[in-house]
Parts: sequence; C-alpha cells; structure tokens
Amino acid sequence: MKVTVKQWHPVAQWRWDMGDDHTPDEEGDVCGICRVPYEGCCPACKMPGDDCPLMWGQCTHVFHMHCVLKWTNTAASKGLCPMDRRPWSAVPCLLSSSVAFAEHRSFLVTADRKVAR
Amino acid sequence: MAAISTRRLGKELKEIHSEGCPVGVTLVSADNFECWYFTIQVMGESEYEGEAFMLKFRFEPTYPIASPAVQFVVGNGQEAPVHPHVYSNGHICASILGNEWSPVLGVISICVTLQSMLASCKKKERPTDNERYVKHAPENPKKTRFEYHDDDV
Repeated sequence: MKVTVKQWHPVAQWRWDMGDDHTPDEEGDVCGICRVPYEGCCPACKMPGDDCPLMWGQCTHVFHMHCVLKWTNTAASKGLCPMDRRPWSAVPCLLSSSVAFAEHRSFLVTADRKVAR
Repeated sequence: MAAISTRRLGKELKEIHSEGCPVGVTLVSADNFECWYFTIQVMGESEYEGEAFMLKFRFEPTYPIASPAVQFVVGNGQEAPVHPHVYSNGHICASILGNEWSPVLGVISICVTLQSMLASCKKKERPTDNERYVKHAPENPKKTRFEYHDDDV
C-alpha cells in the first residue's frame, strides 16, 4: 500500500524550563507581580517568549524579568525580593538558560494525515 | 498602551467575582480602575463586634509597583475605627501600605491584613498624636511619612 501524506498540521507547545524540582505554588504558575502566567508576557509586552523572559532570584523566586526590574528599580523596593524581602539578586545563568531553552522548545506534534487511495 | 494597573486590577476583580471575598470583606464598588470601595468587618469576638468600616483604595497607573492609597472612609455615616493606628480622618499607619509594600500584595490581602489589625486590638483608642496629625494631614495618606512603632497591634 502506498501512502501519500497530502497535508499535515503540526501543533507545538512550549514552556519555560523551570528545572526538575520546580513545583507550582498554590497561586499556580503566575508571576506574583502582574499575575499573568509565566508563559504569558508582562503587561508591557505583546509577545510572550524570548522577548519577555523570566528572571530567577538567588532566593529561588521567579518573576517576569520586566516586572521584577520595574520593582527593583524603584527606591521603595530597597532592592528586596517582593516575596520574602531578602535582597534580590538575580541568578544570571538561569536567566540565560531559560532563554536558551526557549529555543529548544519541546514540541508536541500531532499529524493530521489524509491517506490517498 | 493601557496602564499596568488596568490589567492587574482586572485580574483581581475577576478573581473576586469568581471566588468571592474572604469572610467579613465585601466589595462595595469597583466601577473603574482608579478607585474601589470595600467594607470590612471583624469576625468573631473583638472590640469591633457589630461594626463595619468602609475602605477606599486609590490606584496609580503603576500599581502594583506603586502601593495603593488606602484609607477608611469618614463621613456620610461612615466612621474610622477607633484604633491606635487609625487616625480620625481615616488615615492608617500600617507598614504594608508604606515602606513594607510589596507588589505581590493586592487589594484582598490588604483587606485581610487590616481586618486582623483590628481583630488584635486590645484597647480602643486613637493614636496619641491624632489631633496634631489630622490638623495638618495631606489629603492623600501616601504623602505622609509614617513612623511604624510596633508590629504587634
């Protein structure tokens, strides 16, 4: 039997690499500052993904990079993490690895095949 | 572009409508993204049994990076609770509204904090500097630099 695939629709989904030990907290996987999911983008951006990455703190808390920078750039923040009020210090390698991961997104591909007689 | 406050407040309002407010907290009005009103009551035995107080929230376009201006409504039949951290003009001396504000806090968490501030009150009295403060207080409580004396009331 000869099969000719005439058409197929790949469907892909991506997520940030939160690390193996990451468990969603009770609020779900949303940025605590804007309350938009991590895979969404901060209120200032239009497109989720590499242009609106996440930023990890040494304290292990995660926010949209743009959200947490808006906060830490204010005098009122005193440079503290919004969650635990410990000094905010970003983990640079984790930021870049999450961006790198976004380029190696995991694909869930389903093919919709039409079989010719 | 819409202010960041609009999207965040839209989410908070949606959650209030879908999940309801905590016990003792009631939404009075949220007709825009600049000014909301709630009432709070202390549940169970307390100095404020049977009393309800109205809270006014004012939001800047940069909320939640900037803290909201929160005060008790005074006038039109509303009174500020008699409490060592609440001035008779409705201004509140609470660190989370000032130098301990964090953008992960929100309208509901403020209501709950103020509820528990009232619940733990042992003696109903005004702040010692009430008269002096009220006489010269700015209209917006965010313009006051409060000093936070203790954490246990």
